[in-house]
Amino acid sequence: MATVLMSGIRKEFGSTVALSDFTLEIESGELICLLGPSGCGKTTALRVLAGFEKPDAGTVIVGGEDITSLPTAKRNFGMVFQEYSLFPNMTGRANVEFALKLRKAGSAERKETVDRLLTITGLTEHADKFPHQMSGGQRQRVALARALASQPRVLLLDEPLSALDAKVRDSLREEIRRVQREVGVTTLFVTHDQHEALAIADRVGVMSNGRLEQLDPPRALYERPASAFVAGFVGTVNRLPAEPEGDRWRVLNRSVSAQATMQGAHLAVIRPEQLMIDPDASGDATVTEVTFLGPLTRVVVKSSGQSLIADLLTSEFGGVNVGDQVRVRLRDDVTDVVLIEA
Amino acid sequence: MGIVVKVLRAIFLVLLGLFFFVPLLAMARFAFQSVPVVLLTPEKLLEGWSISGLIEVFGNPEFQRAALISLQLMVLSILITLVLLLPVAALVEIRAPQFRTAMAAITLLPWVVPPIALVVGVAATFRNTVPWFLASPYSLVPFYVLWALPFSYRALDAGLRSIGARTLYEAARVMGASTFTIIVRVIVPNMVGAIIAASVLTAALVLGEFAFAALLLKETLPTFMAEFQRSEPRAGMALALAVMLLTALIIWIGVRALRKRGMDLQAAGV
Amino acid sequence: MRRRFDTATLVVALPFLAFVGLFLLLPTVGLAVKALTPGGSFGFSSLQRALEGSYRTAFVNSIALSVTSAVIGGVIGLLLALSLRSMQRPRWLRSTTDSWSAVASQLGGIPLAFAFIAAIGTQGLLTKLLGFVGVDLTESGFSLSEFWGLVIVYLYFQIPLMFLVMMPAVGGLKKTWSEAASIMGASSGRYWRSVALPLLVPSFLGGLLLLFVNSFAAYATAYVLNPGAQIVPLLVRFLLQGNVITGEEDLAYAIILWTITLLLASLLLIAVLQRRTAKWASS
Repeated sequence: MATVLMSGIRKEFGSTVALSDFTLEIESGELICLLGPSGCGKTTALRVLAGFEKPDAGTVIVGGEDITSLPTAKRNFGMVFQEYSLFPNMTGRANVEFALKLRKAGSAERKETVDRLLTITGLTEHADKFPHQMSGGQRQRVALARALASQPRVLLLDEPLSALDAKVRDSLREEIRRVQREVGVTTLFVTHDQHEALAIADRVGVMSNGRLEQLDPPRALYERPASAFVAGFVGTVNRLPAEPEGDRWRVLNRSVSAQATMQGAHLAVIRPEQLMIDPDASGDATVTEVTFLGPLTRVVVKSSGQSLIADLLTSEFGGVNVGDQVRVRLRDDVTDVVLIEA
Repeated sequence: MGIVVKVLRAIFLVLLGLFFFVPLLAMARFAFQSVPVVLLTPEKLLEGWSISGLIEVFGNPEFQRAALISLQLMVLSILITLVLLLPVAALVEIRAPQFRTAMAAITLLPWVVPPIALVVGVAATFRNTVPWFLASPYSLVPFYVLWALPFSYRALDAGLRSIGARTLYEAARVMGASTFTIIVRVIVPNMVGAIIAASVLTAALVLGEFAFAALLLKETLPTFMAEFQRSEPRAGMALALAVMLLTALIIWIGVRALRKRGMDLQAAGV
Repeated sequence: MRRRFDTATLVVALPFLAFVGLFLLLPTVGLAVKALTPGGSFGFSSLQRALEGSYRTAFVNSIALSVTSAVIGGVIGLLLALSLRSMQRPRWLRSTTDSWSAVASQLGGIPLAFAFIAAIGTQGLLTKLLGFVGVDLTESGFSLSEFWGLVIVYLYFQIPLMFLVMMPAVGGLKKTWSEAASIMGASSGRYWRSVALPLLVPSFLGGLLLLFVNSFAAYATAYVLNPGAQIVPLLVRFLLQGNVITGEEDLAYAIILWTITLLLASLLLIAVLQRRTAKWASS
């Protein structure tokens, strides 16, 4: 197992800058997700780490060794691709075994390792099928087993779940997490799906325009977004005006504490579950949408020209209808908020 | 990729380009420059160019007769191909897809029995029973339709599949249209590209077929060309070049018609 | 539920099937019957004689010509497909090659033979040019009417045909496969040996058979270059155009029956190879 340090990486394709001064540190055995919209540079970062792309500037250090210009084949990494990466002329077992043959493992060792990996990934009965006879989920399990076969120093996952059905996606996500913990391999996981990232990662790095905007554990990322971009990309947010009031701030007529590090006007980032809706004929907000989501009920209201989204526990939901006048407030347990620059 | 590989690849591509281009160039020179190759020197490269030979061929009544016959064979072959094949291809695709494999196999049969083989069979069967049939040059038409089948059927089939003919059919059925109406009003207008491709591939084949016509002693453009070149080498060469370019143009039109709709010309059978 | 026999389909299929039956199957069966009934009674004597003496030579020559032009054309066609695969620039090269191959694979016949006569015939332009640099093509024993002359001319349509066959297979090699191989520690040579080439082999073999069939049946080009060549298509002409003693017609039927059998076997082999490809194709 090894630590990864990518520092000051710059990568341009023609006139587009894919990565600029990108720095990322992954601890040994840690699973980091790079999250961001398409074109943000997350895949390029992974491909630079894999050695498929040579950075224009910066260094890649793995386990203390500078591998910036080491060819991919010599890095001893494992990788799971989005799709279609299994060799179609080999069965599942042969795919996994191929990785071991390349490392010159003996046949007894090969058999033992392949059997163990196929068991871990729950593939024993499908191992002798050809890739096109397998379901998408089975293929990605084989790909995972294959990536782990050579005991890689680093495991790379490039949107491994995005081609799968929602149900398979969830179960395989849990599976990847379990296997990764079991093997303890340092892992970089790239995805555009925030739920996936929040569910699986030790730390999530949100990227935009070739830079790492924030790198934090999922909960911290959700509760304390560092920028407007992160706040908007991770989860749903309402942005409400915040007025300074001594060393505290006033949001929706409530005094709350907050740390403002920036100058100028501020907006408070309020999650839908932090809002409360009270029926009030003299309220200044109008209900425009009510959606039942099971345990939650989502209410969208219009207040002084701005749409606000509130997620109420269905058990607490007072039963407002579209067109009703209501009043919007912060829930009682909300005492401090996150501010971002307006 | 290493620089050595790149250089080797460039050399390979250039040589291959020359292989395909030089014969055409030599042909053009022979046809349009009245300087025999033995007398050709660098100073004489620009002397004696003229296309009068080709113009003269066009005035040759025998050529006109052969060209007219080939043109008629071409039009008839295309018509019969479309009338006979298009409805079958369409109905098999939209109503009886279980017969698709059978159609694919049937339309490959002409590869098994090429002209040189079939002509013997035709002579064996038709010459004694219906001698009048082989007397007319139009007797070539059914055989030309057959040899174009591997290409024409695949072009039509690709067209039907790319427009999602079965879905179109079912959608129109729900709206109450009859099968005939659907084929004429919905399917055909949507697969113009494939129809053009099937037609021009048939045309190109008619324009080039020699064995069958020669062995049945019919005067078509290719058989005329072979004869004519013996007496008039220069003009014959010019005519051959013109026919070759015309064939290339025709096939190119077909390839374009397919590509514009995201399909490609497939090598028949593979 | 869909009926097993769809009336409308049957109505349009019948004329089509009758057409194929009348003009293709009937003559074929007719000649097969004649080949098998030499002199009016059933027997294999014609079929046997068709493989003897000069007829045997014609078959051997035809097969040698077809195999040679198929293998050389096949290898060059494959190399062409591989060369263009990774080339992004110049942009026009790929689309021009695609279109040109579609065209050239159909060219053949009389004009093609003329083109080569003008280029490397005894009075050819290239022959003359080579003379300038001291290579005497005629002295060296090369002649368009001999074996290698025919092979070179046939390559003009064989190479593009192979290119058309291989392009989908070569284009189907996914970039992720080579990346996956390299991250597993495989050299690019190892990737080609273990993954890419095994995937290309079925298409390549199928293509070779197609090229074989294609050149075995070619008539016009050979007719122009050397009407007296001892190859099957020209032999048939000889037998058919009455230059035969009465009774020798049976021999033509037998020769053709053997030819059809050979071509049928090749095409069936292609079908078998395709089934094998299908094992991988959909992934």
